[in-house]
Amino acid sequence: MLELTGNDVRELRTRRQLSQAELASAMGVSRQTVNSIEVGRYTPSLPLAIALARFFETTVEEMFHVKEQ
Amino acid sequence: MSRSSKSVTTYWATPAICVVGGLAYLISAWIGGRPGLGLLLLLIMLGFGGVVLLAGRKSETVRHLLDRRDERITAIDLRASAAAGGVLIVAVLIGAFVELGRGHSGEPFTWLAAIAGVAYIVAVIHGRVRG
Repeated sequence: MLELTGNDVRELRTRRQLSQAELASAMGVSRQTVNSIEVGRYTPSLPLAIALARFFETTVEEMFHVKEQ
Repeated sequence: MSRSSKSVTTYWATPAICVVGGLAYLISAWIGGRPGLGLLLLLIMLGFGGVVLLAGRKSETVRHLLDRRDERITAIDLRASAAAGGVLIVAVLIGAFVELGRGHSGEPFTWLAAIAGVAYIVAVIHGRVRG
């Protein structure tokens, strides 16, 4: 079993100088959802995780950090 | 139907239900000889629909509850609906127990509880078939 320990979404977003609202608009979700993902309060669905990874030209596994339970 | 036109349709579904529900209240009350009550209920339903639409302009949460484009808010809506359904079922069961305790048949609460139970089973089967 894998446990999600964190992600690089905020770092990737700020590196591109995007606001949460701009990223949310690009992903078709709310700003609150982007914030929840960044702080680790919400785990996105696989389609949204893949969309985020494609947007930032990385992979889901590189963007989302997991550890073995 | 494209995603955006589907979202627009979904966005207007709740206000449309308010209008249709309000008109159904009006017609039912009119047939029952209480047009004044029907008009009041119609106004309440239209008012609720209007408040929801206005709140949707200000609140991101309400907007996405209406258009269902945001997966997190849709999941919140699903959990909130399940919680509301659970509370409703408890209320129906309590109503049935009270009515049975008073020596009555328990109707309409027993029928409502049966409908809820059948609906749950159908939903589980539907969900299982769809994977």
